[in-house]
Amino acid sequence: MRSLWLQVAAVTAINLKSIAQRRWLSLSTVVAIALVVIVLLAFLAMANGFQRTIAGSGADDIAIVLRAGSQAEINSTVSRDQVRLIEDGPGIARGSDGKPLISPELYLVVDGIKRTTKTKANLPLRGIGEQGSELRKDVRITAGRMFNRGSNEVVVGKALLREFEGLDLGSTVSFGATRWTVVGVFEAGGSVFESEIWADLNVVQSLFNRNNIVQTVRARLTGPAALNELKSYSDNDPRLKLDVKSEASYFAEQASQTSDLIQKLGWPLAIAMALGAVAGALNTMYSSVAARATEIATLRAIGFGGFPAFVGTLAESLLLAVIGGLLGAAATYLIFDGVTASTLGGNFTQVVFDFKLSPWLIAEGVMLALIVGLIGGLFPALRAARLPIVEGLYAN
Amino acid sequence: MNDFDLVRKNLFRRKLRASLMIVSILIAFMIFGVLAGFYRAFTAGEDAAAADRMITVNKINFTQPMPIAYFNRVKAVEGVRQVTFANWFGGYYQDPKNFIMALAIEPNTYFDVYRSEIDVPPEQLQAFIRDRGSAVVGETLAQKWGWKIGDRIPLNSNIFSQKSGGHTWDLTIAGIAKGKAQHVDTNFLLFQYPYFDETRSFGKDTIGWMILQTTSPENNDRVAKAIDAMFANSTAETSTDTEKAFGKAFAAQFGNIALIVLLVVGAAFVTILMIVGNTMALSIRERTREIGVLKTLGFSGARILTMVLGESVLLALLGGIPGLAIAALIAMALRNSLANVVPGFAVSPTIALQGLALMIALGLITGIIPALNAMRLKIATALGRG
Repeated sequence: MRSLWLQVAAVTAINLKSIAQRRWLSLSTVVAIALVVIVLLAFLAMANGFQRTIAGSGADDIAIVLRAGSQAEINSTVSRDQVRLIEDGPGIARGSDGKPLISPELYLVVDGIKRTTKTKANLPLRGIGEQGSELRKDVRITAGRMFNRGSNEVVVGKALLREFEGLDLGSTVSFGATRWTVVGVFEAGGSVFESEIWADLNVVQSLFNRNNIVQTVRARLTGPAALNELKSYSDNDPRLKLDVKSEASYFAEQASQTSDLIQKLGWPLAIAMALGAVAGALNTMYSSVAARATEIATLRAIGFGGFPAFVGTLAESLLLAVIGGLLGAAATYLIFDGVTASTLGGNFTQVVFDFKLSPWLIAEGVMLALIVGLIGGLFPALRAARLPIVEGLYAN
Repeated sequence: MNDFDLVRKNLFRRKLRASLMIVSILIAFMIFGVLAGFYRAFTAGEDAAAADRMITVNKINFTQPMPIAYFNRVKAVEGVRQVTFANWFGGYYQDPKNFIMALAIEPNTYFDVYRSEIDVPPEQLQAFIRDRGSAVVGETLAQKWGWKIGDRIPLNSNIFSQKSGGHTWDLTIAGIAKGKAQHVDTNFLLFQYPYFDETRSFGKDTIGWMILQTTSPENNDRVAKAIDAMFANSTAETSTDTEKAFGKAFAAQFGNIALIVLLVVGAAFVTILMIVGNTMALSIRERTREIGVLKTLGFSGARILTMVLGESVLLALLGGIPGLAIAALIAMALRNSLANVVPGFAVSPTIALQGLALMIALGLITGIIPALNAMRLKIATALGRG
């Protein structure tokens, strides 16, 4: 048994050392596999980044109240009377002054100009209630100050500022006939809120002619379990009949559609390309076996078995695949990780997000590379193991 | 035996190797075909845009409404041949998942402005105009749900509610619209704005956007400026742009699709280029001796160059053509399920021609170095080697 493993080790070493002789063919296989991994990982990093931005936006102890069946904030309407009823609802936390911690909000779409393409894009302008910024985790003004209530002032999310022009601190923007001053820039823990512009609810309502209407109501719950109390309260009051969801589940729904789409595009493409790469790997490995036919036959003639020849060839293929996989992962990391992109989200407005690789995604990429290497090496390895000695010795 | 036979026999001397290369080329062109078809469908709105058509929207954003009074004022602007308007309805049928592109439209003018794309038989159009509660549905949508003229269907909105409190509008189908060209997407439902406006609970007397036709594309700029100036400093300022520019800006919102397509197709091609190029070089090197013999027999360098290039081009075509054919089949299979995202997903003749050009380019690029080497080969070296 021990001698068998010694044989395997010897043949594998010979194989690996001889890769240099076939460097161009081997290199092309490595690069092919690397490209497959790059394409897959770029898509997965995009889906992952999008998912993290949106799904990371919601909290379990914040309830979001929408009109029944509206699905997204943009389609929802909640009347002033309904807001009052929600204020009195059960399960809602109260501040030290005894006031309920809720924020009625109006969500409007306005135009912004994208820095890269100079084209118009839909940006969200959110009119928030007094408690609006406290109802979101990790909101911090990083430059300037918060807007004053009752004034035409806005604060702008950090991500939005990066992707769209004309919103820098101190500048004036006009939405319709009204001019607004950007007085602050805020961070919100990398969440989707960083892609928004915030202003005072009452000002937005009056300037956009939506006086008695808001779109959503956010409320801090006394705890995640209080959600059901608020839900049944809304279901049982015919004046309400609103959809009550936890913010976390609302955003999870929003994120899943788009990131599913990206993944559904990414995997088939990667698999189709991987098939192409398998063909390349097979070619390389068959050529490798053909080039070493004499060598393999000689080893067999002096007593080496077929199994070491098999393992040696497979090991060569797997090594090339691993190098390709790691190279692809490294290239994706260098090129794509942290790249900012934006697309239309569930609310019909731009969501700014970063491509984000994770160790698990890299593992998926290397796994795909290994599968390519395994299939690409298997059949040539079988041929190497079965090569008739006499034929091999006369191969050249 | 002519030169083509030689090329063919050379190519298939090692059947396995040739088949593997054909498979990788096939996959590259399959990816190309599908992505190009996807991209074309995605930007179809741009191509379909008529040069003399413009869109007027609220300057804040196209989702913001503007007063219906604007319609008559725009009609009077010099250089405007025809105007119509529409309002987004956020429609769905029975379940919110069954999204329907439903618009409340100005019934008398809408089909006139879109007459180069949408065809509704005159008697059906008359019936639609006569009945306030009726609708015209596109052919694709009608087929999807098996709707016929005279059917009554409940249309839901995820935005609007009725004054009575419900979210459902009952509509009678008065006409089925056909697309006049292949790129026209008929996955829509159009119903009467007057009926919509008097039944909805909020937003009364506002419209979503106006579509106008100018007397000639040269007037576009002047007309746009005149309209936007007319509403400057009002509560709802407008922004007027050509349909093409509007569509392009909208498509760009989904992210840079063109770049992604280019990236993937590029990566697939570089991969294939390397694999095929290397294998070609290998197989020519194996044949050094034979090339020497051919030269001894009096084959000129140029003829050998052509034969080697012929071999690589043949290889590219053998892989590429079936690859494009498979892409066309995939597009056909996915066409209906993707109708909402990318209407008119297909491998068009233009894409097929581009693909063919790419195949020839691929063949020439992968073949050129081995072919040049073969051409320059000296007989003595060739026969002396191996």
